[in-house]
Amino acid sequence: MLNYLEILDRANSGPYLAEENWDLEKVAMTTKRLVKKYKLEWNQNELVTDDASLSDAIYNAGYELAVTLGSYSRTTERVIEISQDEIDNGIRNAPQNVVMGEGKDARTLYARHLNDERAPLFFGGSPGTPIPERFFLANVMSYMQEPLIDLATCGTLVEVDGREVRTGNPIEIVSTRRELQYMRQGLKRVGRAGMGMLAAQSSVSELGDLAAAHPDYLRSCDSHLVPMLNELKMDHRNISRAVNSLEYGMVNASLPCVIVGGLGGGPAGSAVINVASYLIANITCLADYHILHPIHMRHIATSTRDVLWVINATGQAFARHAPEIIVADIYPKSGAGTKELLYETAANAIVNAVSGCHLEGCGAADGNAPNCSGLEARLMAEVALATHKMKMSLKEANAFVLQLLPKYEHVFTQDGNPGKPFDEVYDLQKVQPLDFWQKMYEEVKTELKEMGLKV
Amino acid sequence: MSENPYVQALVEAVIDGDPEASTEAAQSALDSNVDPLEILNEGLMTGADEVGKRFENGEYFLPELMLAGRALKAAMEVVKPSLVKKYEGTDNKVKGRVVSATIQTDIHDIGKNIVSSMLTAAGYEVTDMGVDVPIKSIIDKAEEIGAQVICLSALLTTSMPFMKDLIETLKARGIREKFIVLVGGASVNEDWAKHIGADGTARNAADAVKVVHTLVSA
Repeated sequence: MLNYLEILDRANSGPYLAEENWDLEKVAMTTKRLVKKYKLEWNQNELVTDDASLSDAIYNAGYELAVTLGSYSRTTERVIEISQDEIDNGIRNAPQNVVMGEGKDARTLYARHLNDERAPLFFGGSPGTPIPERFFLANVMSYMQEPLIDLATCGTLVEVDGREVRTGNPIEIVSTRRELQYMRQGLKRVGRAGMGMLAAQSSVSELGDLAAAHPDYLRSCDSHLVPMLNELKMDHRNISRAVNSLEYGMVNASLPCVIVGGLGGGPAGSAVINVASYLIANITCLADYHILHPIHMRHIATSTRDVLWVINATGQAFARHAPEIIVADIYPKSGAGTKELLYETAANAIVNAVSGCHLEGCGAADGNAPNCSGLEARLMAEVALATHKMKMSLKEANAFVLQLLPKYEHVFTQDGNPGKPFDEVYDLQKVQPLDFWQKMYEEVKTELKEMGLKV
Repeated sequence: MSENPYVQALVEAVIDGDPEASTEAAQSALDSNVDPLEILNEGLMTGADEVGKRFENGEYFLPELMLAGRALKAAMEVVKPSLVKKYEGTDNKVKGRVVSATIQTDIHDIGKNIVSSMLTAAGYEVTDMGVDVPIKSIIDKAEEIGAQVICLSALLTTSMPFMKDLIETLKARGIREKFIVLVGGASVNEDWAKHIGADGTARNAADAVKVVHTLVSA
């Protein structure tokens, strides 16, 4: 495996290239050429494809992109060159099993195959969503207490002790540690102290991440994010996060949020970039697992047709060719207290589950407002498990999703559908959904059953 | 719509994002005595409008937008001296000068890049300072180039307070009235813009161009 100091050396001494030229001449032009070469096309009515040759082509195009380009350091404006052998070693050495958490609450994340006999695992929480301190604890407990949730994640604290949190400011250290204090407290209170976490979400720069690598906060059996920058780029801040895990031993979750409609153009090019990103992240992020979170250029949400297609294409490409551990985020447009949130969650859960991924969610309301709760995470897990137990074929999955889309697609043409904040959909003392929200969930579940989903 | 074949070729070159073709067409148009203002308005701007429309309709993506910006810039290099020569103060034909930046501590730039490209395509002279730009540098640059507009971008909620700090710094330096300050980003909304005393915000890049047009011409 490539020594990490070697990556730093290459970031400091690789060929100089202006960032705009990396973006346009390297990433955009090469991707465009590969989409043409491999004849890649997306189909807005076949969001889950059972065309193995399409999956082959997407994987091969992504592999060629990674081998052709390598990565880029925004800090030094230099190309981080990575050889084909190194990419191949990265694939060979990609972890197939990672234990997270400890004791009776420990879970083993594994590289999923298509039609895997084992059920997917579920991260519960609203990753990256700004959450006020006054209900942060109750909010995270609403997910942790759900029996189907295996692993915990959370939003971002936007204020501590009444003070606004600012990135890179000393208060980021306080907020990240406070977040982890609440997380650990929440796990104890729901009787699952050993549950593994993907946390330190309040660490927007590397500062909080460095401050939280301590057994009292983020344990070595927990994971943290090592983001890539759009597209195929790193910087010293994010490299610091990976380096921070070297001796301490935290689990690294790579996070390349490919922009669908960005440098890759449409969905096909975006899937190619997503595949390449994971192959690069094996090396530059020291990834133990990958987060699959394509972002729609206009709508942000993961529940749009084109993003669902990218999730399926990327997940399948790895599940068929080179299984790695992939956790697919659910980021619906709608917020808590709306039926659309539940339909979006169901559609996303089906796609993520049949595409060889584990699931994480939900970043309701685009992850922009604290309008999220454990109830939609319960539905996410129920739908994905039903999909798994029914041994749903790719074709059947596509048919279910096409039935769900008309129930929520209007939210993309209206002025959002943010719903209500957590404290207006849950009883904060009992940490239980309010009646109207519980009723909505039950109604949607009944509809899903009537559609033939065994939830 | 100009009937001159070189101006029409210029429109196509911008739409195709081809800097070589746009340079060649602009030069040919000048050589055949087409008014530089016609080249600007009927050629470059018409092409840019079409690119903007295609982007909005989802036919074009970010690379096409960036390439169109390059084609536009290259042709402007050719046309600008003739414009300045022919029209007194033609430099002011530029619709306005804009400084754009992703605010300090934030490194997300896709949205900012799109707005910069679309403003350039719409005829503004845009100085894009990149990401993680300190407040002081943004203000100094705006002063230096005589900008009318400062466009600030932030994706991270924990970077958004620095937008407020920039406005407060402008006030403290007694130069708040010199600049139109616009803020944008996934988590930025009208309430936030109002709260921090910004002059406006927009939900997407196309709206951002409209807001800049409106405020600059007010």
